[in-house]
Amino acid sequence: MSALKLKLRFAPQVRLDLSRLVPGRLAGLSSAEIEKLVVSGGPRVLTVGDCFEVSGAPGEDLIFEGGSDRFDYVGAEHTGGKIIVEGDVGAYAGRRMKAGHIEINGDAGVCLASNLRGGIVSVRGSAGEHIGLPRPGEKDGMAGGAVIVHGDTGDYPGERMRRGTLIVKGRLGKLAGARMMGGTIWAEQGLSAGAGIQMRRGTLIGPRIDEPLATFVDCGTHDLLILKIMAVHWRNTLGDVAPPAFSQPRRLMGDMASLGKGEILLTEG
Amino acid sequence: MSELSENVAYSQPITRNGIAIDDTFAEAFGMSASGVVVTADSPKWARQAAITMSGFGTSVIGCGAECGIDHEVAPEATPDGRPGVRVLVFGFAPELVAEQLKNRVGQCVLTSPGSACFNGLDSARRISLSAGPRFFGDGWQTARKLGESRYWRVPVMDGEFVIEDKAGVSTDAVGGGNILVIGRDRVGVLETCELAVAAIADVPNVITPFPGGIVRSGSKVGSKYGAPASTNDAFCPTLRGAVNSNLSADDKCVLEIVIDGLSAEAVGNAMRAGIKAVLDVGPQRNVTRMSAGNYGGNLGQHHYHLKDYLP
Repeated sequence: MSALKLKLRFAPQVRLDLSRLVPGRLAGLSSAEIEKLVVSGGPRVLTVGDCFEVSGAPGEDLIFEGGSDRFDYVGAEHTGGKIIVEGDVGAYAGRRMKAGHIEINGDAGVCLASNLRGGIVSVRGSAGEHIGLPRPGEKDGMAGGAVIVHGDTGDYPGERMRRGTLIVKGRLGKLAGARMMGGTIWAEQGLSAGAGIQMRRGTLIGPRIDEPLATFVDCGTHDLLILKIMAVHWRNTLGDVAPPAFSQPRRLMGDMASLGKGEILLTEG
Repeated sequence: MSELSENVAYSQPITRNGIAIDDTFAEAFGMSASGVVVTADSPKWARQAAITMSGFGTSVIGCGAECGIDHEVAPEATPDGRPGVRVLVFGFAPELVAEQLKNRVGQCVLTSPGSACFNGLDSARRISLSAGPRFFGDGWQTARKLGESRYWRVPVMDGEFVIEDKAGVSTDAVGGGNILVIGRDRVGVLETCELAVAAIADVPNVITPFPGGIVRSGSKVGSKYGAPASTNDAFCPTLRGAVNSNLSADDKCVLEIVIDGLSAEAVGNAMRAGIKAVLDVGPQRNVTRMSAGNYGGNLGQHHYHLKDYLP
């Protein structure tokens, strides 16, 4: 399997728009053509060749050797193959991605997986605020796929989420699933204050919740078949990072200040 | 509909294990079919729901669909990790299969304790599986999309009924493969057919939709009363002297095994398994002959010549 490698020459002083650097858009380009692609929008024009040493050939994999919190739009509209970043990324990584895999071996900035459609985004470190948030004028946040954050997240994770799965192994930020319309957010360390505010549908899962909203009603503990189906699906699609199976969660239903068909499942009962 | 038969003339029967095999063919028809996997807390309750939804599903003419259990599904192979049973539903057209699924799943699976219902047929063409049952939720139903599948959660009195949104449908299905088993002893012929049906049950993607897989009332096309079908008098032992009978002096009983399958190949495999079983166990049970039902070959697209399916 061929891979294109982009080795960072220096820490960028301006924000870089790396949206053109996805395997699907690079297919068929020569190294010289890739080096001429513009990656900055500021007054000083920077090209790939200015910022990276290019080696290898375009194929299914793209590897960034080195990262920066100024790397914006990494893997935007990615349609297949794997992108690996050996470092941090900036804003909007994985935006509107449809398929494939992005592996970020560092931290991610704000608006990770904005309007994600499919594929898997994995962040080894932490992620900033507003995971999945749509851009102005867009209707949905995450609309498919899966995001796994091994560290913590900023506030408003999963805002306006419609489909897909967000798994957070560290601390989940406040106001998770705000205005959520579907999908699942799984917080292995627990749900923070304000979780589910104004959610219409969808599922938030965690062992416990800090300061649950008064607009969620307690439906008791139940054995929910859908959790078995979700567990099988996640085991098949996510492998080792799939959340652990559980049974008999306490079900809180809400937000009753909105449509009220969402749920918070507390695995510690 | 395959039990309607007007057998063509026979010539030069082949004999195996003392059983004569008519040089004739089963005439089968193209159909549409769908499949669902019904799961429950135990194999007993999965089978109960599957049997209930397959009820009154013998002949598409009178029942609207031909239904039956294909096989049990191990927990590792079901979407919810519970024991399951695959049910196949055959009809004249995809939209008619969809209507049957709506009614049968709504009345027989939704109502069965602990049940869930999933797509059981991979096919590019899909029909709604949840169209009726999910609205039983009266607005409390919610959907969950996982991968390419959408699941509906319908609140019911023992928790939630989960049903997949769509089921695959095939227009390559075949209905009406059949074997006629003829013998000198009614009990022996029945036992032989039971064992043949058991052998066919091991063949994937086929069902035998009649009671226990066996038909005692094979029919011919037409009736003096204007009905579409009436008793196949040529194979009725008690009329042997009164009609142009296809039976010999010693024949006391004829039973038919009807086979529907998701493909022509599947029906052929089932015919082969059924014929082999009859030849293996029939001689000890006074089975003397095998034949097949057809309409002269002009109606059905699929002809299964018995001689081509001998072991």
